[in-house]
Amino acid sequence: MSAPAKYDLSRRSLFERLFEPPRIGAMAPATKVIVYTVLGLWTLFVVFPIYWVVVTSFKLPQHVNEGPVYIPFVDYMPSLHAWQALLVTDFGDTLRSYINSFVVSIGATVLCIIIGSMAAYALARMQYKPKLGIILTFVAVLLAALVVTILAGVDWKLTMAAALAVFFFLARALGKHFKATLGNGDILFWIISQRILPPIVVIIPIYLMFQQVGLIDTHLGLILAYTVGNLPIAVWLMYDFFSGLPIELEESAQLDGATRFGIFWEIVLPLTKPGLAATTLLVLILNWNEYLMAVFLSTSKAQTMPILVAAMNAGDRGILWWTMCVVIVVMILPVIAMAVILQRFIAKGVLLGAVKG
Amino acid sequence: MAIVNAKVPVTFDKIQKSFGAVRVLEELNLAVEPGEFLVLLGASGSGKTTALRILSGLETATAGRVLIGDREVTNILPKYRDISMVFQSYALYPHKTVAENIGFPLKVRKVPKPEAEAQIKDAAAQVQLETLLHRYPRELSGGQRQRVALARAIIRRPSVFLMDEPLSNLDAKLRGHMRAELKHMQQSLGITTIYVTHDQIEAMTLAHRVAILEKGVLQQLATPAEIYNNPGNLFVAQFIGSPPMNIVHGELAGASFLARGTKIPAPVKGRIEKATLGVRPEDCSIVAPSKGHISGEIYTNELIGDHTLVTVKSDQDFLAVKASKDFAGKAGDRIGVNFDAGHSFIFDAATGARVR
Amino acid sequence: MASVDTIAARPDLQGPAGAMKETWPEWFDRHSRHIFIWPAVLMILVFAIFPTIASVIIALSRIRFAGGGFQVRFVGLQNFARQFVGNDQIHFLGRFNQMSALGWIVSLAVTAAMVWWFVKFFKGGFNLVGFLGRVITAGMIIGLTLMFSGTLLSGNAWGTLGTTLFYVFVGCSLQFLIGLGLAFLCSMPIRGKSFFRVVFFIPLMITPLGVGYAFRMIADTNKGPIQPFWKWVGLENFSWAADPWAARIFIIVGDSWQWIPFIFVVMLAALESIPRDHVEAANVDGASSWQIFREITWPQVIPIAATVMLIRVIEAFKIVDLPNIMTSGGPGIATESMTLHAVFAWRANDLGQSAAVAYLLLFVTVVICASFFNYVVLKQLRKS
Repeated sequence: MSAPAKYDLSRRSLFERLFEPPRIGAMAPATKVIVYTVLGLWTLFVVFPIYWVVVTSFKLPQHVNEGPVYIPFVDYMPSLHAWQALLVTDFGDTLRSYINSFVVSIGATVLCIIIGSMAAYALARMQYKPKLGIILTFVAVLLAALVVTILAGVDWKLTMAAALAVFFFLARALGKHFKATLGNGDILFWIISQRILPPIVVIIPIYLMFQQVGLIDTHLGLILAYTVGNLPIAVWLMYDFFSGLPIELEESAQLDGATRFGIFWEIVLPLTKPGLAATTLLVLILNWNEYLMAVFLSTSKAQTMPILVAAMNAGDRGILWWTMCVVIVVMILPVIAMAVILQRFIAKGVLLGAVKG
Repeated sequence: MAIVNAKVPVTFDKIQKSFGAVRVLEELNLAVEPGEFLVLLGASGSGKTTALRILSGLETATAGRVLIGDREVTNILPKYRDISMVFQSYALYPHKTVAENIGFPLKVRKVPKPEAEAQIKDAAAQVQLETLLHRYPRELSGGQRQRVALARAIIRRPSVFLMDEPLSNLDAKLRGHMRAELKHMQQSLGITTIYVTHDQIEAMTLAHRVAILEKGVLQQLATPAEIYNNPGNLFVAQFIGSPPMNIVHGELAGASFLARGTKIPAPVKGRIEKATLGVRPEDCSIVAPSKGHISGEIYTNELIGDHTLVTVKSDQDFLAVKASKDFAGKAGDRIGVNFDAGHSFIFDAATGARVR
Repeated sequence: MASVDTIAARPDLQGPAGAMKETWPEWFDRHSRHIFIWPAVLMILVFAIFPTIASVIIALSRIRFAGGGFQVRFVGLQNFARQFVGNDQIHFLGRFNQMSALGWIVSLAVTAAMVWWFVKFFKGGFNLVGFLGRVITAGMIIGLTLMFSGTLLSGNAWGTLGTTLFYVFVGCSLQFLIGLGLAFLCSMPIRGKSFFRVVFFIPLMITPLGVGYAFRMIADTNKGPIQPFWKWVGLENFSWAADPWAARIFIIVGDSWQWIPFIFVVMLAALESIPRDHVEAANVDGASSWQIFREITWPQVIPIAATVMLIRVIEAFKIVDLPNIMTSGGPGIATESMTLHAVFAWRANDLGQSAAVAYLLLFVTVVICASFFNYVVLKQLRKS
């Protein structure tokens, strides 16, 4: 019995012949050509700028200004002149920026991950019921305090102390009358929605605040600002990972008498290693590349590498492309190293799981 | 009403499959009769699912040919093979309604809407799903989802049905009910069906013939009765039957089987130094310790309902015997086990082959 | 028989009333509920909520740095009014003179669509929250349409609000399409999938500053590497930074280079998470690759696509580094995003205006993102 008409392969349209795979798990030749071409072009598009940056870091000014030269040793002789300028002549500045970047990024990442994981774990496993009334009272008192400080010029230490006192008094007195409560979901939503807040909105008051307590141009100041910026992401991602763990493990540990913190440290965190690694990498990259906050909150001593990059734009002398490329290369290397180190822990589905949540 | 296709045979011709260095199927030769319900039975890793997937086109054989009817389909895409398949997980499209799920094979073949709707209603009626056509899979129970998968498979009246453990996700009671439904449906539609399972009860109750696979090798291809009463090797003998066949190790000397100092009359004559004797629990009986072919002590008694399952410990071996439901022995009692030579089987311990 | 391990036999473990004294870990455990969550809450209160509220006050005042501190003068909504009807209207909204015919048509069409939307809502029963939400969303949409019609469609230049929205909507759409396309290609049975996955991810890790300067170098029509091509096309001395639309496209190219990987990675994971069973069943049922994508894969991937685009759009509103260094917001204010607008105002020492623009950005971001979330994302999530 020959094939029924609709299963006859010789009756396929031209399009089908070209693009139908020969069997499951393979691609038709025409499809292969298109797919690999497009992917190849995009790879070129991705790699070329990086290649150009690396290559330019080995160029002398005339190699840049006279027209493009592409391949070292073929089109031009590579020189370490820019590298020398940055790593030898200006070594002090470069090293300081590098160290600042390291200290601030790692410090902020560590702080962010610790605080964020703890909060995420708390929201995933413990029940919170803050009273709506208390929160509104707090905001109202805060607003009043700020108005008084800024507009009436009263010393902020005074108004803050007064505000706290007023708040506690009101909370005690009126607390019983507030009934409406919020839940874990609301707290989580509030924390995550902070991400919508454009940093520019908070940077000015933070600048003024830091100025009052002398945190401008310090490592600590930058660390605090960076931490808050990425806290929503850390909490969001870690919350997903924690809520995905089976609760029976923790329950049996509790029966065995372990403390909350013990369970968190010994059982939960090791189980979420891939997720933790992915979140850490993400936060680390964001902190390492941060520019806006560094510009506002540091002036000379605590300046990080992105500012060094911008400093290569000397304005009147034109952009020193060669040294700038050196700085960019020097900035990229640790990131790639971090990614390679943490990559072992990251499964491909990790980021997807977070987005699904 | 859809027209039923003519019944179509299926042939596996020297099919081999390797994944890298691992051989999953060793030269499988299997001819399925037109309209037959063939069950591929085996444990996990036996190659049964691989064989099914090769037939479906979802995997490609490393060597060999597959024929549906007299048409070679070894290297054709699944959609050109005129087959349909029911998956173990049902593979229902979650964002489509039941009606859209059932009608999907028609939709991709651009069957006009009115005709498609009639066929969908028809298929749904055959599995008693007419009232659920507008629901989504997540709103259905396991049994209902399974019926949707079935309806989707039968709507096109393909030449061959493929089923990959479709009942394993159902609870026991529902499984029994669906088994009967499946058997009835296959008989009324008459479509050649290849069914994969690890459950011997499904195999025994559903199949016209059973093909038992182990480690990629076909052990025996026969009707359920034949497999039960006339196992081809030790593996088949022990795989089929619940509780499993009793096994005694010993030696075949002439017309007797020597084990643990006792002489048991053997069903066949021969001389094999390392032989195995097999006898089913229902063919054994409990007798006084001195009068039995094998003696030992009672390990446990289990009242099944219509019989008592007595486990007898003899040296290091355990034998199961189906005794009457009034059996009054206690654990520790010394007893003997007797059986008729005609109901026992001899196997070569080295190869597992049945000695006839 | 009492053992020596009872509390009574251990005075060192006893507190004042003879009850068991609590050790440090136990105190920590008892208060763990608070210890776990308060650091995060406090940090957000101090560094996000508090400054946001303070920002309102700054936006409502005029601050001058004087001596060691600063003096503040309350000016009400003056800073905001300036953006809409005052001196800074051109900077923020754009130049308005005569509205063109096309502008009128588009405005009326959008207004009609909004009215129809409200009618549909009222038909389904009234609730206050839904109504207010729709009022805000519709108001924003109509306002933006008017701005758009009055400036762009009438042949005039628009301000930072328009530029920001351009980056967000045009940029993100482009990034989504390309990211999805690449993910689709990569989800096919190709060799070197992990190679592509790694390589395509790299742009995300590079500092935006680096990206901006790298693209500035490369796009240079005189000295950049593509110069032979520009020469051949006759654009040898064309300056990207000098033409408003070329500059904006230039920024979007840089932004896309950096952010398409994000969408690519997530969508690829999404495409690969479609259960293999479903695809196999569709194959057996007779579907072609395109049919499988359209009927099986894409519907299951939509919720993730909606969520990832929401995340991308939220980030896109904040764009500042690229316009800053690629074109310094130029030519004029053609590529200046709202954040950059606020930064420049700060540099010019006009803190009040800076805060006002920042707040307007916050408002636009929140309304658009919340609307997108409510009317698109939630609808998708409810379906699945």
